[in-house]
Amino acid sequence: MKNILKSVGAKRRVLIVEDERINREILGNILMTEYEVVYAENGQQAIELLQKEADSVSLILLDLMMPVMSGEEVLKICRSNDELSRIPVIVMTQDDAAEVSSIRGGADDFIKKPYSMPEVILARCERIIELYEKKKLIDSAETDPLTGLYTRDFFFEYIRQLERYQDAQMDAIVMDIEHFHLINEIYGRGEGDRILKKIASVILAELSNGYGIACHCSADTFYIYHSCTADYRGLAERILKEMAAVSFESAKIRLRIGINQNVDKEEPPEQWFDHAKLACDGLRGDYTRQTAYYDSAIHDRQLYHEKLIRDIDSSIANRDFIVFYQPKYGIEGDRPVLRSAEALIRWKHPELGMISPGDFIPLFEGNGLVQKLDRFVWAETAAQIAQWKKKFGFALPVSVNVSRIDIFDPELEDRLTGLLNQNGLSSNELLLEITESAYSDNAVRLIEVIHNLRDKGFRIEMDDFGSGYSSLNMLTTIPIDVLKMDMKFVSNMLKDEKSLKLCELVMDISRFLDVPVVAEGVEEKAQLELLKDMGCQIIQGYYFSRPLPAEQFEALIQKEEELAAKKS
Amino acid sequence: MITLEALRRFGADTEKGLAMCMGNEALYLRLINSVPEQQRFDELSHAISEGKRDEAFEAAHALKGILGNLALTPLYERASEITELLRNGADADYERLSAELTEERKALAELCEQCD
Repeated sequence: MKNILKSVGAKRRVLIVEDERINREILGNILMTEYEVVYAENGQQAIELLQKEADSVSLILLDLMMPVMSGEEVLKICRSNDELSRIPVIVMTQDDAAEVSSIRGGADDFIKKPYSMPEVILARCERIIELYEKKKLIDSAETDPLTGLYTRDFFFEYIRQLERYQDAQMDAIVMDIEHFHLINEIYGRGEGDRILKKIASVILAELSNGYGIACHCSADTFYIYHSCTADYRGLAERILKEMAAVSFESAKIRLRIGINQNVDKEEPPEQWFDHAKLACDGLRGDYTRQTAYYDSAIHDRQLYHEKLIRDIDSSIANRDFIVFYQPKYGIEGDRPVLRSAEALIRWKHPELGMISPGDFIPLFEGNGLVQKLDRFVWAETAAQIAQWKKKFGFALPVSVNVSRIDIFDPELEDRLTGLLNQNGLSSNELLLEITESAYSDNAVRLIEVIHNLRDKGFRIEMDDFGSGYSSLNMLTTIPIDVLKMDMKFVSNMLKDEKSLKLCELVMDISRFLDVPVVAEGVEEKAQLELLKDMGCQIIQGYYFSRPLPAEQFEALIQKEEELAAKKS
Repeated sequence: MITLEALRRFGADTEKGLAMCMGNEALYLRLINSVPEQQRFDELSHAISEGKRDEAFEAAHALKGILGNLALTPLYERASEITELLRNGADADYERLSAELTEERKALAELCEQCD
């Protein structure tokens, strides 16, 4: 700071409080070399001056024995006032006894009378001022001005300091608010801030009963480090109860609390909270509870997921991902006819072996990486269709998955038409499956994309129909070419009446929309017969074939060709 | 105005006194010149003759600080002695000690006037 001031030709201001004129002049003459000096002849004057311009004073040099108001009284006033207590005080005295009492009273240093050498006085003043300036910087970075809780960096620094001196069992707690960004958007920043402040004050009140510290980590996330107590479950419940008692503009605040009990002190503190956060994140969308505890199962799953995320790129490059094909048969005629296929991805991980799509697809859908898989599958499938087209003289259409995130890719249409061009395919040979839940997400963008794709000749199949939340109204506005009935209905249609009825309902809707239905997951002849009776045109499932690698799938095309030839 | 040479002969540690004033001779001599007029001397002798030891201590204490800062050794030593005796509540011939200090003050005052 000193150098910054020097560079602009400014000096810090020092207040000398001293009743003896000669002492004032001597001291002033010394300090003038480095500071702007202001004087007070007694305590009263000093306080009056400070009340007016406390801001501009960097240091107080205080004589103890003065008329009107003594130095001790000045010190007392300074130390009991928020604004004045940020100014350092050096006491000037001859008595050793006075040193002790003024240290207790809050003095920061002493200058002996008669004075020591001027250089010593200047050095002491400089040291104290710098110390206070640094402390002030630290104080302002230490807590978050909105909530008064520690900031993240200081929180972790204090935990590390704490851990040097204690080895009690501690819990790491992470708390956040569901859909907080929506609260900010709908009710405004002010309302959001009000909620954060309230949560912070409840947390602080909780901590005052026990042993712990808390920080406002980011937007709506709070970290609490708290000693394990018999009723630590109560902590979360009390905070929730307090929050429930407060009425905010927004109808309902849903807090999520993740607790990592009795943290493993061998791990770094950040990890304690990463784990608590993991438990907290696990509550997303779970409306049955608000608190979750971290355990090793969550941890193992996290490690597993991290590995999958880490390996996706190398596995794409090494072709550990393989596209399988499951045939779709038309069942309207006397015999089933191979109509098309669905491309399905399989992961033959070099260390973990075959990984079920159920393990990695939802993970990659969640973090957007599914886009990489989709593009890989599109390219593989397009090349495969072209290869079969060349070999057999006709193209068997294959459907590929288009994930929610792909819809927002501005280059989606160019990407797909580019693939067709590369492989010499026409747009009706690569079918696009879009899952029903994507339809409710951003209908405007989706409708736009689908219109563009259909204009280019692509055919759109609505996947998992019946599982999502499409309103019937939306179905009439979104142009689709095929409905794919949710697999669950087919699996249960023989077992429960409701599923059977839903199958019939989907068939009714398809007739209304005038589009064909593909039934997935058909395993038994009885299912096939029922669906056929309902008017279902296309069947996909183990009844005909499981998903097959390309070489094996070829045999099905071959057979189809032979049957067709025989008939003609 | 008194000179450094005269002060040195008087027994002041002028080197130290000047250093205290950051080598500013004019300031140093001006401050020395104002010492004989210090009210504190009168307060001290008055309090001693009245037997008011607390007030006497306060005045002696203040004088000790000033005189020490200016390195006026002959006066400083006497003020110091009185201060410490009063601080310890010792029985001493304070009238005589005060008179001695007054003598030194006079001597300094004469020195200041002579040089004018």
